[in-house]
Amino acid sequence: MNDCHSNDAVSPVAETFSRRNRFGKIEIAPLPQLTKREFTLALVGNPNAGKTTLFNALTGLRAKTANFPGTTVERRIGRAAIGRQEIVLVDLPGLYSLKSSAPEEKLAGDALRGQIAGHAAPDAALVVVDATNLERNLFLASEVLELKRPVIIALNMMDMAEREGIRIDVKKLREELGCIVVPIAARTGKGVDELRSEIERLAGCAVVESAGRFKTNCVTACAGCPYQARYEWTESVSARVMNAAAARRPQRTEKLDEILTHPVAGVAVFLAVMLAFFFLIFWAAKIPMNLIDHLFATIGTWVAGHVAQVDLQSLLVNGVVGGVGGVLVFLPQIVILFFALSLLEDTGYLARAAFVMDKIMRKLGLPGKAFVPLLSAHACAIPAVMSARVIENPRDRLATILVAPLMACSARIPIYAMITALLFPQSPFKAALVFTGAYAMGIVFALGMAWVFQRTILPGGSKSLVIELPPYRLPGLRTAFLHTFDRAKIFVKQAGTIILLISLLLWTLSHYPKSAPPAAVAVMTTQAVQLEKSGAQKQADELRATADHLTAQSALQNSFAGKIGRVIEPAIKPLGFDWQIGIGIISSFAAREVIVSTLAVVYGVGENAAEQNRTSLYDKLRHATRSDGTPVFTVATCMSLLVYYILAAQCLATSVVVRRETNSLKWPLFQIFYMTGLAYIAAFITYHIF
Amino acid sequence: MSPCERRLDELPPRTCAVVRRIETDGEDIQRLKTLGLCVGRQIEVVKSGDPLIIKIFGSRIGLSASLAARVWLEICVPDQCTLQNPSPT
Repeated sequence: MNDCHSNDAVSPVAETFSRRNRFGKIEIAPLPQLTKREFTLALVGNPNAGKTTLFNALTGLRAKTANFPGTTVERRIGRAAIGRQEIVLVDLPGLYSLKSSAPEEKLAGDALRGQIAGHAAPDAALVVVDATNLERNLFLASEVLELKRPVIIALNMMDMAEREGIRIDVKKLREELGCIVVPIAARTGKGVDELRSEIERLAGCAVVESAGRFKTNCVTACAGCPYQARYEWTESVSARVMNAAAARRPQRTEKLDEILTHPVAGVAVFLAVMLAFFFLIFWAAKIPMNLIDHLFATIGTWVAGHVAQVDLQSLLVNGVVGGVGGVLVFLPQIVILFFALSLLEDTGYLARAAFVMDKIMRKLGLPGKAFVPLLSAHACAIPAVMSARVIENPRDRLATILVAPLMACSARIPIYAMITALLFPQSPFKAALVFTGAYAMGIVFALGMAWVFQRTILPGGSKSLVIELPPYRLPGLRTAFLHTFDRAKIFVKQAGTIILLISLLLWTLSHYPKSAPPAAVAVMTTQAVQLEKSGAQKQADELRATADHLTAQSALQNSFAGKIGRVIEPAIKPLGFDWQIGIGIISSFAAREVIVSTLAVVYGVGENAAEQNRTSLYDKLRHATRSDGTPVFTVATCMSLLVYYILAAQCLATSVVVRRETNSLKWPLFQIFYMTGLAYIAAFITYHIF
Repeated sequence: MSPCERRLDELPPRTCAVVRRIETDGEDIQRLKTLGLCVGRQIEVVKSGDPLIIKIFGSRIGLSASLAARVWLEICVPDQCTLQNPSPT
């Protein structure tokens, strides 16, 4: 019984240096290393076995999320002080079998076997087993035991099992498996201390132990279906250790599923849930978003008050504070989305949502779960792209990520509002129609492009639906908090680095090279001084404001952005855009909504008009003329601009997040390229139709 | 083919059956096997349609009818079926 630290083990120290192998010979183990070596423990388990809850219970906030090298599959690494030792815990993706061919599961298996380049195999495995579903969970446990590495089994959800009347003889299970088995309830924390001391004992030994006594007897012997053989074994073990005679499987799950998986009622419930979900990220997020906006505006004003030098002031206020603030403003949406999503997943509902939506979504070449990110994209593409992780199949996930930013996000609203106001100032009905059309066009193009990608660059056919429908459970708030914190951290890190750099670059483009203010400004300033002297304070202020607008206008027109606008004019002329709209497109490359304030500056209404005095901006735009005297914003140009902004990829934050989520530069670049190309062609056609 | 073999997607709800044969062996089928849907195992159909729900051990699995159409089963004699009527003693 000493193949493994077991219940009746002798002193751990004595066990460390010698042990009997399976043939009864005593093996002399190498002396423990004197240098402090970190003990790594990998958490493995079926999806829904409560692995993450246990991981969080052991590590808490001290966990980091990182990709497996060269992939987009994440693992969480955390440290835990257990006894006197620092243990490194690695949370591997949930899996059903070590021999699985699904990428995430394969990586988990490889990591456990130490087959990932540059990463040694973990010193031991902590297998999380769902006590309420022993037969299925022992399948993976037996595969892990056969790796002949030290194994601790955490028999999780013991509280649920007890409630269901399932009694498990833990001692007997230990004997059957030949390894440590600790009954726990990760959610309530029951048994976690015992588990800690078992981990401490295991980590105290320097020898890699073998679980040599363990044998499923049938795995190699049976020809034919190895799965069947192993399942027969798990069933026989379960029958021996478990007394399920008094089991009363809760009817709750089955009753709920009658409704929630119903082809009609299920879809209706799903739509209601999604509506609430969307309401949260679209409307409820507005309050904290406004707060963040205010906060950054206040910081900007404060900085402006303390930095006198004009260029430095503008750099700090517009470049740094504005750039970071413009990205952090999305944080509430991300936090709310991931919190809600984590709760939905934890209750078991997300699996049902995937189930009922699968048939409908499959017709579009996407899996049922793609509905969640595609809907979220209507609020913001950033959380949408991040939430595409709910889709297991990498190909389906990539297709979803590629098309999600085509959905009309909230940053497009100011642009749509501007254009509809230009087109139909008198007809709210027509304006509403254009708005609806813009949303519909986003959806149609997103789904259409998904369809195209599945048949061209992402071949291989969608995976058929196979999904476990776990029992409904109360969600764990702690898990949801930690998951949300994790996602927010990743986003902030990106915002603080790449996005800040690029927003500084764009600031430079629109502020340099410096140019002298036009002659008229000097005249206006003198006039303003005179007016002030004669007591006409109001007129003086107005004149000063006009002079400021003129200065800003001329500075922007003469900046690099202005020059680029002129250079690209021949290219955008077929779309009905002049070079001034070109400046708008350049400056809104990182954030599409910026075009409204850029146009305000370009047409001399002042940046503030975009927020405070929309009517004066719209009036000015309506009366803006080209060099030949014809109006700029004709119906054709407005429609073309609208179509361009429906489809173009003018959001850098999204591109940065896509880069992270696809772990490649190729896909975000491709996305920018295809979306801009699509926008260009569609705008061209639109311009020529009207 | 044995005459009692029926396709999984054709079975009515509340049927208990033993898997006899699985056509082809793609990645999807592999996945079903790791979940316990393999030859010789007993399952229960919880809900028919597309997608359908089956019960293997205590777990419920949703799968599309196109996959289910590749699985052939033999219906169990009712009172021999341990899964169909969990005895609430």
